[in-house]
Amino acid sequence: MRMRSRLLPGLLVLGLAVASIVPSADAQKRGGTLTIVRPTDPVSLDPNLETTAPGAWVYFNMLEGLLTLDDKMQVKPLLATSYEVMSPTKVRFKLRPNVKFHDGTPFNAAAVKFTFDRALRGTPPARWASLAGSLDGAEVVDDLTVDVVTKEPYGPILRTLAMYCMGIVSPTAVQKQGADFSRAPVGTGPFKFVEWKTNTHVIIERNNDYWGDKALLDRVIFKVVPEEGARMIALQTGDADMVLFPSPAQLPALRKDSKFTVHETTGIRVVFAGFHAGMPPLDDVRVRQALLHAVDRKAILDNIMEGSAGPARGVLAPGVFGYKDMQLDKLYPFDRAKAKALLTQAGWTPGPDGIMVKGGQRLSLSWLAARGRYPKDGEITEAIQAMFKDVGVEAKVQVLEWAAVFQQVRANPFNHHMFTLGWVTSNADADYSLYALFHSKQVPPTGWNTSRYANPRVDTLVEQARRSLNQTEREKLYGEVQDILAKEMVWIPVYTTKEIIVTRSSVKGFHIHPVEYNLALWKTSVEK
Amino acid sequence: MLTFVVRRLLLAIPVLLGVVFVVMLTIDLLPGDAVTLMLGEHATKDAVAKLREHLGLDKPFAVRYLDYVARVARGDLGRSIQQNRPVAAELADAWPATLELTVAALLIAAAFGIAAGVASAVWPNSLFDALARLGSLFGLSMPIFWTGLVLIVIFSLWLNWLPVGGAGSLSHLVLPAVTLALPSVAMLARMTRSAVLDVLREDYVRTARAKGVGEILVLARHALRNAFIPIVTLLGLQSGQLMGGAVLTETVFAWPGLGRLMVKAIFARDYVLLQGAVLVFALAFVIINLLVDLSYGLLDPRVARQG
Amino acid sequence: MGGWARFRRNRLALLGLVLVVVLGLTAVLAPWIAPYDPARQSLVEKRARPGAKYVLGADEFGRDILSRVIYGTRVALLVGVLSALIALAGGLVLGMTAGFAGGWLDATLMRAVEILLAFPYLLLALAIVAALGPGALNTTIAVGIWGIPAVTRIVRGAVLALRETEYVGAARALGAPGRDLLRRHIAPNILPGLIVYATLFMANAILLEAALSFLGLGVQPPTASWGLMVSTGRDVLLVAPHVATVPGLAIMVAVLAFNLVGDGLRDALDPRMRGST
Repeated sequence: MRMRSRLLPGLLVLGLAVASIVPSADAQKRGGTLTIVRPTDPVSLDPNLETTAPGAWVYFNMLEGLLTLDDKMQVKPLLATSYEVMSPTKVRFKLRPNVKFHDGTPFNAAAVKFTFDRALRGTPPARWASLAGSLDGAEVVDDLTVDVVTKEPYGPILRTLAMYCMGIVSPTAVQKQGADFSRAPVGTGPFKFVEWKTNTHVIIERNNDYWGDKALLDRVIFKVVPEEGARMIALQTGDADMVLFPSPAQLPALRKDSKFTVHETTGIRVVFAGFHAGMPPLDDVRVRQALLHAVDRKAILDNIMEGSAGPARGVLAPGVFGYKDMQLDKLYPFDRAKAKALLTQAGWTPGPDGIMVKGGQRLSLSWLAARGRYPKDGEITEAIQAMFKDVGVEAKVQVLEWAAVFQQVRANPFNHHMFTLGWVTSNADADYSLYALFHSKQVPPTGWNTSRYANPRVDTLVEQARRSLNQTEREKLYGEVQDILAKEMVWIPVYTTKEIIVTRSSVKGFHIHPVEYNLALWKTSVEK
Repeated sequence: MLTFVVRRLLLAIPVLLGVVFVVMLTIDLLPGDAVTLMLGEHATKDAVAKLREHLGLDKPFAVRYLDYVARVARGDLGRSIQQNRPVAAELADAWPATLELTVAALLIAAAFGIAAGVASAVWPNSLFDALARLGSLFGLSMPIFWTGLVLIVIFSLWLNWLPVGGAGSLSHLVLPAVTLALPSVAMLARMTRSAVLDVLREDYVRTARAKGVGEILVLARHALRNAFIPIVTLLGLQSGQLMGGAVLTETVFAWPGLGRLMVKAIFARDYVLLQGAVLVFALAFVIINLLVDLSYGLLDPRVARQG
Repeated sequence: MGGWARFRRNRLALLGLVLVVVLGLTAVLAPWIAPYDPARQSLVEKRARPGAKYVLGADEFGRDILSRVIYGTRVALLVGVLSALIALAGGLVLGMTAGFAGGWLDATLMRAVEILLAFPYLLLALAIVAALGPGALNTTIAVGIWGIPAVTRIVRGAVLALRETEYVGAARALGAPGRDLLRRHIAPNILPGLIVYATLFMANAILLEAALSFLGLGVQPPTASWGLMVSTGRDVLLVAPHVATVPGLAIMVAVLAFNLVGDGLRDALDPRMRGST
């Protein structure tokens, strides 16, 4: 039984499209060195050991996976040229011929199998193994054909393989370098590793034997500059061409200045204030809805985020596959009278100190938050705390360091009414969020249903969507899930992150990607 | 002399063992754990368990403590949990920056503190004395992290003379070193003033003056030399304080030193890294105390004979 | 000449005392003198410059900085006084025990004290607060514990010195119970030194609380703490310097006040300690 790839429309054709992308002739000359300043040094340059941004920014330019996501969030082929679904748990990939790793050894099916085995069966497993869902491994069919196998039918498989951390590594180099591989990785990408001086810089250079369009830059230097102010100064003096995590306060001025270009796009992380829906009084949907009406999200975006984030339109970010606009602004506009009316409906009346009471109980919520884990997380918590007070709801906020917050939200039971968190849909597939966050069986420590949300219909829908390989069907199922969630809100979605990178205007051809890790530099050049 | 040094160093061993014990226990008692933090939001339960096992974090506390001590005894500080890098390498990266900062601050403190103190003592109750004493009180009362911010506003924002933060050149060093030095300058000025005043009241100084020895010579030959013992003691104590204060200064000025490394290690629950860093601090503390004691011998031969 | 007479002649010390009294009154009368509710936010007025409406400006949530500084006095004084009491109580017990018991107990205790002193204090406090969870009370405990080793040393030293003196030896030989010894002989001798130490400690306690809040391990929102105000104001230092500088000034004044009083007390009560630190 063979399911043809019409179920995953578009991919086969696109196998050829990649070669046709020719850099526009305008001003994009070869050569030049790009200096990037960012706050921290990588943990490692091996995706097995690091899946966070400091390492990913660098290795994304050196290691390539079978597939990739373009900046419109569409799956595109990379080291694979085409694929075919063999069975619900097996996808067959044809590999790109004549591709060589930086160490000169050939890229082939064995390398794919090696990479997956190393990550999934190593001790300990790779950091990205947790991101890979049901991925079980790869089987060599012939030198340029490989079967990717999942433990169960797994709809998000293609987006999983297109993640930034799924780069295929050179088996020879891994064996030769041992533990040092994590500091000098060898892949097939348009750049190759030169040097890593800890806490100072990482340097990569153009791979002149690249199989596709060669990178324009000679070199890229990733410098560590921890302090925001110092990064901005480096950009202004020309010591840096590109700054990652620019200072939000300075963006308005930079946007107006022709010496700089501000690149921005909506990211894929949603930061939210979550409810524990199993804990009274939040088990009453009217109370939850009242709290949504009590929050002036626009004021938070304007005055606290100050243009560095976009509105949250639902529990997912717009770039994610399966996203549906939950129209929160229409459903839950900022309206204190409405909030109070809903609370009254739920039986709450104003008490002597202005806080609502019901049966002698004050409407007081305990709230757990960290400061500095997500942009302005502490500040939005404090702002919402004050907004709650205006409708007679007391929030007792406990700001702990992230380590302590993390331990508590990962624990069962969870003893707070509310929590501030951010969730990034790493593989850009709704499954990754809707399944782990809202399936009733995904209560921590198994999954991330910290809200203790339980709705049998949602359970059925997310399970069905997870096992289906029909993307059109999946999209419809996820749409229904989001319609249900919109009515029963167990979050106050506050904002969607924005990816913002500032370059000097001499930097040409750079395109920012919604996934912060995907810092693609091969089409970029520096005009001197 | 040598036996004295050796004995003192041997005595430091139980203290260092205790320090390691306290650090490890504290991290163990803190809520949160290194592995879940490291694997982040998306880690599966299984992945966490496997990594804990791999790092040996599933072993009981006593076993880990003894393992660690045995390894340190062989000169191996282990690998940091978070970065999986040899702790020795991490410390080698961060330690020089802290040393640079502390030494610069100490020099500033010694130069300005002692000079101001001596001047105050020589012209007691003068305008200079009053200003210096008031200044010291302010120096002692300003929170170090705030002083740093105020200096940034003045010298980086308004005057645009010095960089906001980071390390690299001498101009990067100025603000953090001055910030860190301020409380010590104040402390030393006060101490020096009273020590020199005390000595100037001693009989032998009066005798020397009566004999017509010039004021400067009296100061140099008698007063300073004798006032040096309490001053050096304080300098020793201050260097310990300076290293502690470096945590804040390094945070404000983004100085890539040990203080920040330790704060990072605490927040990441990376006890291997933290222990290494604290060991360096404690060892430095022991060595400084030893140097202070040894310097007594140089300054005052009577002490050396007793030692 | 009595201690108070000596203290009174010291103008700086008197100034310090006046400041401490003013701080105390500010803390007690905060609800009546603060122009606004310190937690009242007005997001559109964020980072308002000092002016007619907000005398000292507004912070990043549009909260009145003056009102928050006034309420912050409560946290500072509470932490200062309580932690000094903790340090004194702990140090007295341990110091007495070590001093009187002698032998291995003394040796062990003093080794422990050395370990604590060899530990960078800020990290110790950081670790304690991280373990207990942040909040005004836990910060107080952490700051108090930090003071214990030094007090232990002072008390033990005094006890050792006194043990050698004849009258304590005699009283002991006569079978006086330990409580009597403490009250009649030891307390009067170490009290002046401890009072001076406690006052200066309060100054440092306020600094340490501010430092802990600065590092993000202090009081909980929306409670106003000066250290936390400096810390959050730091993010907007280059755009709105007043947000961080005003609470910093408050810390400085409070610490200065206690330092002045402590210096004055030292000169008045314990001339031998004059000039020592």
